[in-house]
This record gives sequence, structure tokens and C-alpha cells, in this order.
Amino acid sequence: MDPITFSIIRHRLFRVVEEAVMTLKHVSGSAITNEGHDLMVSLYRADGSLLMGGVGFLHHLTSAAEACKAIIRRFDGQIHEGDLFLLNDPYTAALHTSDIYLIAPIHYQGRLVAWSACFVHVFDIGAMNPGGFAPDAVDIFTEGFSSPGLKLIDRGEMRQDVWDTILNMVRGPEMVALDLRSMIACNNVAGERLIALFEKYGAEIVDDACRMLIEQSEQRLRERLRELPDGQWQSRQYLEVKGETYRVVLTMRKQGDELVFDFTGSSPQSKYSVNCSKWASLGGLFAPLFPLLCYDITWNEGVIRPVRMIAPEGSIVNCARPAPVSVATVGAIQSVNNAACATIGKMLAASERYAEESTAVWHANHFAIFMFGTNQRGGLSIGILTETFAGAGGARHVGDGVDIGGEIPNPISRMANVETIEATFPVRYLFRRRLKDSGGPGRHRGGTGGEMMIVAHDAPDGGIDYVVSGKGTKFPQSDGLAGGYPGALNDYVWIHADESDATAFAGSLADMKGRHEPISWGVYPLRGKDGLYVRWNGGGGLGDPLDRPAEQVVNDVTAGAISTRAAEEVYGVAFKDGVLDPTLTEARRRDLKARRLQEVA
Amino acid sequence: MTTGRKYLVATDVGGTCTDTIVFASGEPVRLGKALSTPPDFATGVLDSIRSAAASMGLTLEALLAQTSLFMHGSTVVDNAVLTRDGSRTGLLTTEGFEDTVLVTRGAYGRWGGLTEDRIKHPVKTDRAPALVDAARIVGIAERVDYKGAVLRELDEAQVERAVRHLVDRHRVDAIAVSFLWSFYNPVNEQKVKALINRIAPDVYCTLSSDIAPVPGEYERSSTVVINAYAGRITRAYLSSLETLLAATGYDGPVMVMQGYGGLLPAHEAADRSIGMLECGPAAGVIGSRALGQLLDQPDVIATDMGGTTFKVSVIQGGTIEYAREPMVDRFHYTQPKIEVVSIGSGGGSIISLEPGSNAPRVGPRSAGSRPGPVCYGLGGDEPTLTDVFMLIGYMDPEIFLGGSMRLDRERARQVFEQKIARPLGLSVEAAAIGVYRVAAAQITDLIRQITVERGLDPRDFVLHAFGGSCGMVAGMFGAELNVRRMVVPYTASVNCAFGLISADIVHEYATTALLPVPSPAEAVNRLFAPMLEKARAQLALEGFTGDRVRLDGAVDLRYSRQVHEVTTPIRGSVPLDDAALAGVVADFEALYERKYGKGSAYREAGMEMTQFRLTARGLMERPEIAAEATGGADAAPARVGRRPIFVEAEDGMVPSDIYDFEKLRPGNVVAGPAVIHTPITTIVLQAGQRGTLDGYRNVIIDFA
Amino acid sequence: MARRRFSDTLILADGKICCGACERPLAAADRSWKEQAALTVVPVASLPGAGLGTDSRIVLRRFACSGCGSLLETEVALPEDPFLEDRIVVAG
Repeated sequence: MDPITFSIIRHRLFRVVEEAVMTLKHVSGSAITNEGHDLMVSLYRADGSLLMGGVGFLHHLTSAAEACKAIIRRFDGQIHEGDLFLLNDPYTAALHTSDIYLIAPIHYQGRLVAWSACFVHVFDIGAMNPGGFAPDAVDIFTEGFSSPGLKLIDRGEMRQDVWDTILNMVRGPEMVALDLRSMIACNNVAGERLIALFEKYGAEIVDDACRMLIEQSEQRLRERLRELPDGQWQSRQYLEVKGETYRVVLTMRKQGDELVFDFTGSSPQSKYSVNCSKWASLGGLFAPLFPLLCYDITWNEGVIRPVRMIAPEGSIVNCARPAPVSVATVGAIQSVNNAACATIGKMLAASERYAEESTAVWHANHFAIFMFGTNQRGGLSIGILTETFAGAGGARHVGDGVDIGGEIPNPISRMANVETIEATFPVRYLFRRRLKDSGGPGRHRGGTGGEMMIVAHDAPDGGIDYVVSGKGTKFPQSDGLAGGYPGALNDYVWIHADESDATAFAGSLADMKGRHEPISWGVYPLRGKDGLYVRWNGGGGLGDPLDRPAEQVVNDVTAGAISTRAAEEVYGVAFKDGVLDPTLTEARRRDLKARRLQEVA
Repeated sequence: MTTGRKYLVATDVGGTCTDTIVFASGEPVRLGKALSTPPDFATGVLDSIRSAAASMGLTLEALLAQTSLFMHGSTVVDNAVLTRDGSRTGLLTTEGFEDTVLVTRGAYGRWGGLTEDRIKHPVKTDRAPALVDAARIVGIAERVDYKGAVLRELDEAQVERAVRHLVDRHRVDAIAVSFLWSFYNPVNEQKVKALINRIAPDVYCTLSSDIAPVPGEYERSSTVVINAYAGRITRAYLSSLETLLAATGYDGPVMVMQGYGGLLPAHEAADRSIGMLECGPAAGVIGSRALGQLLDQPDVIATDMGGTTFKVSVIQGGTIEYAREPMVDRFHYTQPKIEVVSIGSGGGSIISLEPGSNAPRVGPRSAGSRPGPVCYGLGGDEPTLTDVFMLIGYMDPEIFLGGSMRLDRERARQVFEQKIARPLGLSVEAAAIGVYRVAAAQITDLIRQITVERGLDPRDFVLHAFGGSCGMVAGMFGAELNVRRMVVPYTASVNCAFGLISADIVHEYATTALLPVPSPAEAVNRLFAPMLEKARAQLALEGFTGDRVRLDGAVDLRYSRQVHEVTTPIRGSVPLDDAALAGVVADFEALYERKYGKGSAYREAGMEMTQFRLTARGLMERPEIAAEATGGADAAPARVGRRPIFVEAEDGMVPSDIYDFEKLRPGNVVAGPAVIHTPITTIVLQAGQRGTLDGYRNVIIDFA
Repeated sequence: MARRRFSDTLILADGKICCGACERPLAAADRSWKEQAALTVVPVASLPGAGLGTDSRIVLRRFACSGCGSLLETEVALPEDPFLEDRIVVAG
């Protein structure tokens, strides 16, 4: 195949995915899809191997490949032109039940030539708690509808009985129908565009180009791996639910042009829904791997080949049916994301050539709060607080982490405006801003997380309820790199207000009068004058904080990113009458270094 | 208009060149060109007008003395933002939300404006440093809620302390004010402005409720910060330009282009610097629309390929799409602004081979004008698309830019062979043809994407090709998109200036309110009434009354549970009756399905109206452009040579006829494959394409 | 043997893992350098910016160069958990 035709076909394939993503967002029109970009669209070859992964929630790229393969196995001999399949069983391939895959075979001249697949986080899936994350779930059976594969459209004809059955099992069936319709439209567009490509260039040439695209990705990742040192790197994540502690332990070994992610030593599976299945773990490690190691390589099957995963059965990263998994995407999967980011960061830092690509851990903890209830216009509102997508950047070799800068596994998320949320839900924000001292200290500081507080406002029912499936309040998870400190932790506080008007405009959590109850798991009310305070984690730092130029520390204090206490105690900067004192600073830093040695002795 | 003052003069300041166009009834269109002169752009403006005057045998003063109206577009605001040359700016915002503009709705400001390649590499992405430092943002204790109720009264003493802190301690000379929900109830913002005018009258103060009265506090705040940041520079620039023009003999009004494609009198434009962002490309689209109307083909895909970018915009039935999320440098803002999509693919785009695959890539790096393409001989040693054009026979080294510059074909050949052809294992011609195809395919993909995005089919459109390089590629992508026909306009090189002269005075008004569907027309009319009154008074002040005034209403609607809003024009006049309002709703439903696809509407939760817009036009009088009489089809007298050029249908180089545009007469027909050289560009006709010179000296290209 | 990176803060030189700042050898390339480093342990709950719910047992282990006091690596750990072990295979 000549490089020119190859170049043109590759570009077209890439545009096919882009156009399909656009269709998905257009038709759905939902906030989580359009603002949070909680979606994914990819193309797969006839055998289900990943051909072209789009920019979306990246832990889905490999899982949807497995979903294609599962459909191929299950429906062998019954896959026809115009079919469309649905799969959302986490023990078959999916991440959790509310992220539904719709998968379509693409035929050209009567022959199966490719697949397209996409997902959105649907409005509801009929789990114990509304919105999909179900902290009250005790097993997979309480997490709503789940299918290891069913045919939704048969040769172009919607199977109405199946469609009606699915919608019969969910809250807000019209909204779920809209989500499904958007995914159907998305697959249709992907199919039409791909067929146009086959028509223009012929099946053989397109097929050749696809094969070459995969080979090339494999070759380029293997070359990169050979350039990196051989070795092993470890990381460990702690999760806590209702007083129980779990570990995700990772040893990443790199030898020659292969990479092994070994989760031996991780905790047994939990009775709570933070577990994840093995396909979810695999997706979880690839989510950071794609952008950290393959930023200039097409994300496809070729990238997957040099990588192997070992995940002990019955563990929190490879749980056995019927363990509950609905919180997986912000539970064990996110810990796998973090652990993989940490080990890959360390491996890159060990290379002269790739050190500049290294990074501490970004946004380690989604807080995933779903609000639901009657809104100010009398309708039903269910929705995620989109601040959860606005994590903190980890510090990088090339600079500080980006304050409230997002996350690695979902490169193009964003959060909604306060005005958008106040118009949609009967709530009022008291503040939303960066959180001081949340960015992990280091020579390069981790990005800050944020804090916000809301109260009910104009709610016909006196308030609303929310599902919180948060972890990350007990243990920091945004690890630092090379001496950098971890980013700060999450907190969720229910303020049982006393009934005075004095705190109607509280400027901080401390200003808010009443009893403060830390919460993290379950369904809670936001009623009367009660408040919900959320703070979310900062990114990990990089390098020794005592090496951070003193002027930058002073700037951080001025800009409100760090406190004077942190400047003095962690960064060793000294102020005299509120102004930086270079001589004292030097002395203090010397002293702090010396104390590191004394304490040991 | 005053006798003796027969000319309309329009000057557009672009990044490199400042273009002028001169119009008068019954006279040919005259063009002028000069280099732009940042940061003192006014010098280049006069140079450019002088160049047009010279082509008419007039002095600058003589031309201006006979000019009735001067229209202007300039990159002054874009430049102030890009070079960080604006005011020391402070921001007053609602307490508790001081960080809104700094944290850019999370990652949005980190990835916004980046290409997919860079988005896939998050470790190397950052926000642009903010135009306002964190230390110069002060929270004000105040609060308005989602329905406009004031929950917390402004504490004027606190505001005064905040203003004094910004002025005395931080020496700011511009202050932006952006409070939550101020577009529903601007009372607190207005009180702040009154107070600033009283205690710090020298400070440039601008309110989000004036500049961007729309929901979304991040975009609104970002907008008003930019407006404050560039406000003084804009005001100073426009006033110095007016002074200079007056000193040179011009005493008429100066009209300034806005990004939404309309003109404003200079003194009004001076207070809305944000409106001038990207007003040049917007003018270009207006020019394309005017040309489409002149040629009676109102559905246009306007393309422009210059040195560094390829730009495209879509005009449907004379309607122009506004950008949904406009940005300048990497800052979001919210203003009605004509959508112009661009990719980094221009004549100066550097060709490289991807490591590993050897797949050729065009751009995004550009050699710019210095050192420029290899063939310019100015020291460039990376092959560019322009070098490729030459290697496939499209450019004549001897007559580039009318012979003012000789190109070095041999050097281009050597460099291309060494860096591209040899690694590909291909001959120079084969490799150059391949690269050319890659460039054309990427453009095709882009145009397909942005038309499909709007639910449009390129086959229903006429393609306009502007800019120095477009005529050499349009024959390829136009054919693949299967457009109805293509036009390379006579004014292709000064299209933005042409747009200025085609534009009207336009004021855009908007009111935000949430009304359910159905609502009585009365409720809608109540919202329009103050806007109508304001618009009529404003236009009257500018000398427009009676049939020189056009008022068009539009309503933004959405399905209650979905986020997409569609601006739906009101067909009749405003105020409207219940039947007309029902018509708007029906139009919305049709528009929604066309844009977002069949089955995309979720009707069950109802619909709502969210924004009410009024576009008020003062219609400019402008001379008719006279068409020359057309003659015979025979173009033979204009044939100046024959050489091999790349012909797609033949999959190789084929000897073809070369024509000199200056020798073509209206009515002449050139059959492809052929090349037509004009003084500023080259038009390539692929096999089967026929180019006809029309009475306006546009080349109209039809497919066999 | 030539110097090469072990991490952002450590180098490998002459078969030993050394502090990148002062070049003090800490351990043989195939041994745990952390055992030889100066270790200070602080409860995460005591750090500026700690959350309200921080587990009282979780600590930040800080490994510094036993010569110059430069901070080489940190890890978050419960007291009973072992040090994280990173290794680089030296060819030959």
C-alpha cells in the first residue's frame, strides 16, 4: 500500500469517528453527553479488534472491542446487514450497566467488513438508586437491567418487544429512549461513512490500510518501549467504603518491547459496588496508557498487543459474578487509572529521552454525585454534578499541574456553568472555586482541586435528594512523583443548618452554622436550609517542594493556591512582614533538609 | 449622497496585507494593497488607500475628498490579545466565584482551540495565561438568583474599597464587571459602573450585562474581560484613524466592521472592542454572500486558502451561521460572530513525513512568508504546499505575482526530492502529486464535516474560491464534493474589503427570558418592545428611517430536556400574533431535525423559548456594480503557452494550455485541463471543467 | 559504567543507585535503595490542606538522600504496607 493512499484513508477513518461523535451529541442533547463528554465512539475490524479509537472516555476502547467479540461469538451465523446489538453486562465486557454499548456490524457487498460501537451513560438503568451509580446495591442483580448481548435491530427492523422491555425497566424511559436513539444514529452515520470509503477505494485497499494502521501502531509502540529502560515500577491505591479499606496494588514490568501490568496483591472483591470486572481493569490501565505513551500513535489493536494484564480472580480488579460493580468507573477502575498513570510516569521519568513526558497522577477521584428530584418548574431532574469532570492536573516534568484542569482518561471534558445548574435544579451555589492547598506540593505543584457549596432554592418539595458514591475522603489517591506530595483528598459534608438566616451567604464551610456531618456513601437529602459542601482532590506534585523557586511559592500564596502555612512548612519559604525574605528562606530550607536526616537518626 | 462625493472606500487590515476597494456608480472597481503596519495600523490604512488612488490616477487627498463613506475592518483587537498588549485589567465578580474566569469550566480552557493531535497529548497542554491576574479579581458581596430576584443587595462601601484597591494598589486602568445572573437583572452591575464613573472616572469600565447579556457566567466573564482588556487600545486606534483621515481631507463617517458581519459607526464600535474580533474574515463571508446574490446563487460554500490556513464558511439561502463557541487566542467569548472554520493548511504549510509510516502530512507548521516556501529562495529549506504546486506544473516561476518575483524551481525540486520523494521511494512528480492529493482530501473532509454538521448537502452549493492558493486546489475538492459550480471571484484577493462595502449598519440586541411553549404572543412582544424602541432610536440617530430600516426578530428555542438551542428567525414582522408565533415553533422543529438529525427531538417534555433576538439594519445605499458586455467564447487570444500539469483524471502530468487572465474577455470559455494565471493567483481547471469569464470578470467553473 | 537516569531524582552510576543531587551512592542497582535512604513519616492528616475525613493511620513516607537531604521519593502508605519497589534492569 502506498503511503499516500494510506494517509488519505487514515484521515477519512478519523473523520468518520469525529462525525459519529458529533451525531451522538447532536441527537442526544443531554448534559452528561454534551458537557461531560461521557461518551465513546470507535471503529473495529471484522474480527472485533480495535481499529480507530476516538477521544472520549478512554477506558471504553478495549471494553467495546471485547463487546464486539462477545457479540461475534454469541451470534455466530446470525449477524446480518442492518443488525444492531446491545450489550451492557460487566461480566461480559461492559464497565457498568449504565454505560450501554450499541454495536453495529458494517457490511459491504454483503460481506461483514467492520464494526462500529459507541456508548453513553444513559439517563437511568433501573438500578436501586437513580442515575446508574448504586451505592445501595448488594449484587449485580440490584444494579438494573443487564444484557450479555441482545439484538435490538434485526436487518433494519427495530425489535419493538425488546425495545419496550428495556424501557419498561428504567426511570425516565423517554430520556433513555433518546439516549438509545442517539447511539443508533451514531452507528448509522459511522456505517454510512465507512461504506462510502469502501466504495471509493475498494474493499481490498481499505482492508489493507486498516491492517497497516494496526501494524504501524504496534510497531511504533514497540519501538518506544525498546527505547525505555527495562525494569519494574510499583504503585498502590487505597479505597475506603463504610470503614472497609481496599488496596489496588500494581507492579508494572517492562522488558524489551513488552509491558505487563500485574495486580497481584490487590484486595479481595468488596461487598460494595466499587469492584470492577477484568475487562474494566484492562480498559482502566489503557485509559492513561493511550495518551501517556501513544500520544502520537493511532489508538488501536496494535497498541494493545504488546501489553498484558495479570489480575487475580475474585479480587477488587477482577471480581466474580454476582459482585456489584455499578460504581466501578469512579471506584476500582479509577484506581487502576491512577496506579497505571503513576507507574507509567515513573517509567518515563527513568528515560533521558522521555522524561519530559512524565507526570504525577491527575484527578484521582471522581465524586460522581447524582441529584434527583422535582425542579423549580415542577418537572423531574436527574443529573450528575459536572464538577466531577473538572479534576486537577497532576504536576508534570514540563510544569505545574493545571488547576481544575480535567483528567487524563477523558481528555475533553468540561463542567457546566453555575447558571446552567441553577436553572436546571432547584439549588443555589454559595461558592465554587479553587481549593487552597489541594495541589500536591513539589518543585512543580500539582493543580488545585475545587470546593463548592449548594443549598436548596425555590424547590417545590422543599429540596431534592442526591446519591453520593464517593471515595477518596480517607486516603489521598493523586500520587506525587519524584518527591512530590500527593494531592489533597475529597470531602462531602452535609450541613444540618440551624434555622437562622445569618448563613444564607456563607463564604466558606466554616461560616456555615449548624452540625457538619461528613458523608460519602448513600442517598442524602438537601432540604430546608441544609447545605452540601463538596471539595475535590488536587493533582500530585513533582519533585522536592524545597526546590520550588521561592518567587513561585510567593505567587501561589498571592493567587490563593496555597496557604502561608504551606509556604512556610512544606516549601520552606520565610516571610518577614508579609514579604519574602530570601536569606531566611535559604536558612529555613537548609534546616528542613537537615531535619530530614535527624529524624531518622 | 452629496454630489462630488461619489466614492465608497473600504479598507481591511489583515495580518499581512491591508486591502482597499473603491466603488463608484458606473466606474470599474478599483483595488489597493499595502503591507499592514502593526502596531500602528493606521499608517498601513493610508498606504493602502493611496495605492488604490494611484491606480485611478489620483492622489490620496483627492480620492478622500471625493469619498462619501469609509468602511473599515481591522485586526487591532485580535492583535492586542495575541500580543498581550492590552490594559492592566481588574475584574469585579460575585463573591465566592472569583475563580470562574481563571478555571475556564475545568479542562475546557485547556483543550479548547487545540487540534485533535494536541488534545491526545494532555501532558503537553496548558491554559493560556489569563488576561487578568488572580490578584486583580475581587469578589463583591451581592447575589441575584436564576429568575432575576436580588437576594443580596450590593454593599456600595465594599465596592468602593474594591475599586480603590484595584486602582491604587494594582494601578489598573480598566475594570470588567461580571455578576451571576446579571443578564436577567443588571441592577447591581449598573450600580457598580455608576460608582466607578464617580470615584475613578479615568478607568475604562465595562459590564457583562451590556456586552454579553446571555446565560453562562464563564463565557460572559471571559467576554467582558477581553472587552476591558482591549477597550482602551481600540478606542485610541479608532480615534487616531478618524483624526488622520480628517487631516487628509475626509470628513464623512467611519464605519467599523463587527464579527457578526455588520457595520457600526466608529464611536459606537469604540466601546465594544470585542465586536471587532475576526471582523475581517466575517467581512469576507459578507462579501461572498453579496457575490452569491449578485450571481443569483445564494447557497455558497466560501473557501479561502492563504499562506497559513484554509478557511471555510457556509451561506445558506443568504443566511449565515454564527459560531457556537468562538475563541480568540485560546480564550472563549460569547458574541454573535460569523462562523469561519479553519485548518492549518495553506500555501506555506510545511510537508513532512510521519515517522514510522512515511505518511505525508501537510502542516500544521507553516513557513509563513519568511523564510517562506523553498522556491521563494528566501532561505526556506522545508518543502511547502506552494513548492508542490510548482512541481506539478501549476505555477510559472517566471510570472509569479505578475512577474514581480521569480521562483527557484530547481531548488524546490532538490529539497523536495531529498526530504520527501526519496524517502517515499517515488519520483519527484509522483510524490508531489501524492502530497497534493493528501492536501485536497483533507480539505474535502473538512468541508464535508462542517456541511454535514448543519444537515446540509454540499451538492446543493456553489463554491467560492478566495485567496492566493485556493484556485489551485478547488478543482479537486470541488469535484469530489460534487458542488454545483465553482466561482473564482475577480475580487478574490481583496475579498474582505469587498465584504465591507457590501455590508449594512447592523445592531444586534438580545433579551434572555424563559418562556414555555405555548405562550401568548403578547408575552413575547413584551420582550421585543424595549428592543424595538432602542433599535429605532439608534438607527434614527445614525440617519436611517422609513424603508432604510429593517428589523428582524428571532427566537432561540430548545426542547426542555435537551441542551441544543436553535435560533429560529421570525418570518413576519415584530410584534407578532399568535399564529406567527406558532409558525416560529413549527420552524424550530423543522430546523432542529434538519440540524440534529431525524428522531433527535424529544418533544414529550415540551419546548421552551430562551432568548429573544433583534437584528436592526440600517440599509446602506450603494452603487450597482456594472457588468461588462460579454463576447464570444473563443479564448485562444489569451492562450500564452503550453506545459505539463498534473491532471487527476489522467493520473499524471499532461501537456495543457496556459492562459493569461488579463487577456481574457468576458464571455471567453477555457476548457480544462488548463491553467489561468492572474496577477495574484492561479486557477487550475481539471479535465472536464469549463471556466467562463463573466461580465464581472469572475471565472465561473462548471463541470462537464 | 556510564551514568544514566534511575528516576527524576536518582541516577545509576557504576552499578549503584545514587542521589542525583550529590551523587552519594545509596544501594546496588539490584537492591532496595529505600532501605538506605533517610525516611521521615508524616501523617497525611497533619499536612496543610488535609481533608476532614482523612484516615488517622495513613502516612506520607518521605525518602530523602541520607547525604544531602534532597527529597527523592514519596509514597502514601498504611503502616503495615511494604515500601514500593522500583527497579531498573542494568544490561549485562
